[in-house]
Amino acid sequence: MGERSFKKEIASLRLGEGDTFHGEGILAVTKALLQSGVSYVGGYQGAPVSHLVDVMADANELLEELGVHFEASASEASAAAMLGASINYPLRGAVTWKSTVGTNVASDALANVASAGVKGGAVIILGEDYGEGASIMQERTHAFAMKSQIWLLDPRPNLPMIVDMVEKSFELSEATNTPVMLELRIRACHVHGSFKTKANRPPVFSRKHTIENPDFDYGRIVLPPSTYSQEKHKIEVRLPRAIEFVKRAKLNEVFAGKYDDIGIIVQGGLYNSVIRALGDYGLADGFGATDVPIYVMNVTYPIIDDEIIRFCVGKRAVLVVEESQPEFIEHAVHVALRRADVQTKVLGKGPLPMAGEYTLEVILTGIARFLEGAVPRGVDLAFVGRTHQGLLASKKKAAELLGGPVPPRPPGFCVGCPERPVFSAMKLAEREVGQFHIAADIGCHLFSTLPPFNMGNTVLGYGLSLASSAGVAPSMSRRVISVMGDGGFWHNGLSSGVTNAIYNKDDSVLVIMQNGYSSATGAQHLPSSTTNAKGESLSGTIEAALRGLGVSWIRTLRTYGVAKMKDALKDALTTTERGLKVIIADGECQLARQRRIRPLIRKQIAAGDRVVRTRFGIDDDVCTGDHSCIRLSGCPSLTIKANPDPLKTDPVAHVNNECVGCGLCGEVAHAAVLCPSFFRAEIVQNAWLADRLLDRLRARVIGWFQVDRTTAAQSADATAV
Amino acid sequence: MNERPVTVLIAALGGEGGGVLADWVIAAGAAAGYPVQGTSIPGVAQRTGATTYYVEMLRTRIADLGGRTPIFALTPGPGSIDVMVASELLEAGRAMQNGFVNPERTTLIASSHRVYSILERTSMADSRYDGNRVLATAAKLAKRALFFDMEAAAKASGSVVSAVLFGAIAGSGALPIGREIFEKVICDSGFEIKANLAGFATGYSQAVAALAVPALADPDKRWRSMPARAGPLLDRVAKDFPADVAPIANEGIARLCEYQDVAYARLYLDRLDTVRALETEGGHKPLALTREVARHLAVWMAFEDVIRVADLKTRAARFARVRAEVNAKPDEPIRIVDYLKPGIDEVTAIMPPAIAEPILRWAEKRKLIDRFNVSLYIRTTSITGFLLMWILARLKGLRRRSLRLRDEMAMQERWLDAIRATVPRDHAAALEITECARLIKGYGSTYKRGRTNFLRIFDAVVASSALPPARLAAAVKQARAAALADPDGKTLAKALAEIGNNVQPVHKRAAE
Repeated sequence: MGERSFKKEIASLRLGEGDTFHGEGILAVTKALLQSGVSYVGGYQGAPVSHLVDVMADANELLEELGVHFEASASEASAAAMLGASINYPLRGAVTWKSTVGTNVASDALANVASAGVKGGAVIILGEDYGEGASIMQERTHAFAMKSQIWLLDPRPNLPMIVDMVEKSFELSEATNTPVMLELRIRACHVHGSFKTKANRPPVFSRKHTIENPDFDYGRIVLPPSTYSQEKHKIEVRLPRAIEFVKRAKLNEVFAGKYDDIGIIVQGGLYNSVIRALGDYGLADGFGATDVPIYVMNVTYPIIDDEIIRFCVGKRAVLVVEESQPEFIEHAVHVALRRADVQTKVLGKGPLPMAGEYTLEVILTGIARFLEGAVPRGVDLAFVGRTHQGLLASKKKAAELLGGPVPPRPPGFCVGCPERPVFSAMKLAEREVGQFHIAADIGCHLFSTLPPFNMGNTVLGYGLSLASSAGVAPSMSRRVISVMGDGGFWHNGLSSGVTNAIYNKDDSVLVIMQNGYSSATGAQHLPSSTTNAKGESLSGTIEAALRGLGVSWIRTLRTYGVAKMKDALKDALTTTERGLKVIIADGECQLARQRRIRPLIRKQIAAGDRVVRTRFGIDDDVCTGDHSCIRLSGCPSLTIKANPDPLKTDPVAHVNNECVGCGLCGEVAHAAVLCPSFFRAEIVQNAWLADRLLDRLRARVIGWFQVDRTTAAQSADATAV
Repeated sequence: MNERPVTVLIAALGGEGGGVLADWVIAAGAAAGYPVQGTSIPGVAQRTGATTYYVEMLRTRIADLGGRTPIFALTPGPGSIDVMVASELLEAGRAMQNGFVNPERTTLIASSHRVYSILERTSMADSRYDGNRVLATAAKLAKRALFFDMEAAAKASGSVVSAVLFGAIAGSGALPIGREIFEKVICDSGFEIKANLAGFATGYSQAVAALAVPALADPDKRWRSMPARAGPLLDRVAKDFPADVAPIANEGIARLCEYQDVAYARLYLDRLDTVRALETEGGHKPLALTREVARHLAVWMAFEDVIRVADLKTRAARFARVRAEVNAKPDEPIRIVDYLKPGIDEVTAIMPPAIAEPILRWAEKRKLIDRFNVSLYIRTTSITGFLLMWILARLKGLRRRSLRLRDEMAMQERWLDAIRATVPRDHAAALEITECARLIKGYGSTYKRGRTNFLRIFDAVVASSALPPARLAAAVKQARAAALADPDGKTLAKALAEIGNNVQPVHKRAAE
């Protein structure tokens, strides 16, 4: 039910033994889950793993056939808690979310399931949202794996490998009674490739083949004294078994090379970049044959000391290519070698930067520095240096020629977004009551912190804006406004925010952006949507939930009414009424709306029905080119164009053809008393005869009065010629 | 064999169809039998930000690889891109800035149209990035640069930019794939086939033609035709003004005849003449100052009061322009609703000072000045709506005795006096003072802000006796730039303090 339709992808989930799957990495994972015989799948949407959740939601029919239970979970915590099914029973299951933020939310359940241990294979698919394209704080999942003793896989990013590793994860999980995390970086989730499929495996136990007797085993309850034995079991039994399994199944790989006095240890996910960099330096070919030995860690936790030692013995130096910080793997390599008294020099952070994504450029530089420092026998260092300089030369040259950085292009609210007007209203309210602190939240509305609004003082997590206002509000001279989306509200905002505020009698203002979907992640449905992900109808509303908790000051307003919204905000900020005041800003996600109505309108027009199209415009001879309208909106369709006036140079505001006619421009012009340049145009398509006659009559009468009628007609003729 | 893959990097804006284009390129590679891989970083940038898609393919067909599988990179490497595709001009600049275009390898295929970034759009004056810098850099940095306006090409072929780009990639010959395979990919994708093929064909032929890129220029200006009644004034211009000033002066005359009457246009010319005389006397050539004064004075004298707005909004040319702008077909009636919100300021502006000033004083005292703005939605295409506006436009006669005209004239005189006083001793400073007229624009609070800033600069800099004369030009320039830097007046206050005056912040915090 999301932003994209997955019809084609669902067909490829049905592929059988020996067929070829073509598609995206994260969908290959989805297919791999079905091939592994999962009983249940859950997840919470978020780039880069949204498609797994979306395609599962759309594939209901296939899942029913197989007997696989799918839940579009209410949060990552709900998803992680599903793994409880595998504690007592041999049920295979998988859950997914965006990490590390999702892992943060899920960590309570994760730590518990990791302590209890599992009988059935439990796999967590993580989209490691790190580097370019990420939308969250830059951290790594690795620490979670270590602290809870969950095994962490980071496979080489090609589809056959990813699929194989998903299948092996279940085996590893079952062999060690431990949940397994499989992390995929953003680009790996979206990589297009192919693999040979296997037939889908219906789960052993499912709705179709149910379990008769529940299992009780106090040893699996996370309460003393079980917890003490569980910790021991982790270290004494599960860890050795995991190491044994990884070695036996050869999950990590060694690629030998002729310059064997050095070597590279790399996380599987970064292998392709390392091979490309070596290829650029003439040290590898395009098919993986390398002159520099490489140890690929497709399993990054636990570290297999034996393998590390065997790889390093006899080498003068190795480079650890490990993205982000702290450098857990590098430390572990040091420890392994030190304990075995192997004197190989270990480099990592140094030639490579401590923080930031390891792009090809970073890895090229890191490997060049490593080689120059290690001086391996036989490597043409002069060539490496020259190549490195050559590859980076055009960047320097471009900077010189361009003479200055090109303007950035940050993301922002879409054309006609219903959330934009709320911030326009806040700007105007601020002008009247003074500046106020805004506790922002996760979701599209966080674009308010970018130009042109630059509003929102803190972000503490999904659904946590209201909770995050609790500490600061009492110390501020004006009330604090918390902004939250309906996605955030249902994810965590209702319990951590609203309930908390009610219980503590917080004097606060909450603005809930009700656009009907979890829009930032791809328009997934929510508990307050009309239907759930599977299309079953729902009846929950945000207002009912709030009233149920005892919130009495609730205003539900159409977002596009800027003046009314401004008044409501002012009212909420200044009323003498104490307690929580909630404004529900209601307006359907414009992307979803357009997707819904465009085909309908097209059909109506094709059928000859009368349709009135609305869009906005600006009279370019009335506009004086100050652009305050843009500073109060930022709509992509409200842009600028060269001034057609021969006496003026500043560009004028201009509404382009992407305009969906939401009306915000005009509302802002009115609410802020900006200027009279805006107009709304209603274009009558498939006009009735009455429309045309009226139009002709009006044009005739108006024409009598227009002084420039003849000249305008002439110039129109001239254009026509 | 150590074969380098062909690398294709596509830079696009979120929501523009870059993903579809990348999918097409991948499909074309696969259909041609080559091993191919693509990847992307959608995420937040999907919402209108700059984003990229990356594709690699080998030139050897899978069948000829003997079962070996290539290892493709997932991230583009600097200096390693064979085909750099950008859906917009600034993004081509960004690609070069990031090191993805180099002279040995890269075919740069990009649209020359602009989608302005938010910082360019929100500027209080003109912060457009000069696209010609991108074109000039590309000419030096790319092995081959193919630029054309793909937005226009897409519009002309009833298609989208991504289809035109796909055609341009095919037409560039940079990929080892034949045209028929590219077209088959479009057909197989199954949506908007006809339109996409048309867009593809346009892109293909433009890339094959590979015409030289003309420097970007602003589109044509709308010059007014000269009214017959202004004949004598136009004769004066022809006689006294050099060829590079005359068209501007003529435009000013035509505009003010239309705005008010010939007498008002004559006043304009008389005022302009005083500056021309002084500049000519000083031996300056060309008459750069006269030219700028001609421009600004005409715009300023035709200030936008409600009468002017009503006049502009009721013109036949305006109706025609709206039709074209909203893409209305000839048989589609359109209705125009104008958004007006006049208040006390706007109404008193066209009244004589003797009536207007007491009202303003009363409203000011009771803090009611912003309270009586009425939201009007006027259907200018209906007969009643039109006549309302038309009658308003006919109130020109009131303007000659209006409060607003008196105030504007006084400010203009102050400005002209400063210019005239400065020309003989400092031509550059006179030019800078002239440019300050740029601050007087807009409506309502925007107008008030501009006027306040203008007066602050005049009080603190232009009329300052403390400022050493040699620093005048630089100081005015600095203050003017500061006035246009932010709507709150913070930068201006700082600049004025720097210039050496203690200035109290005057304008309250602006909404934006």
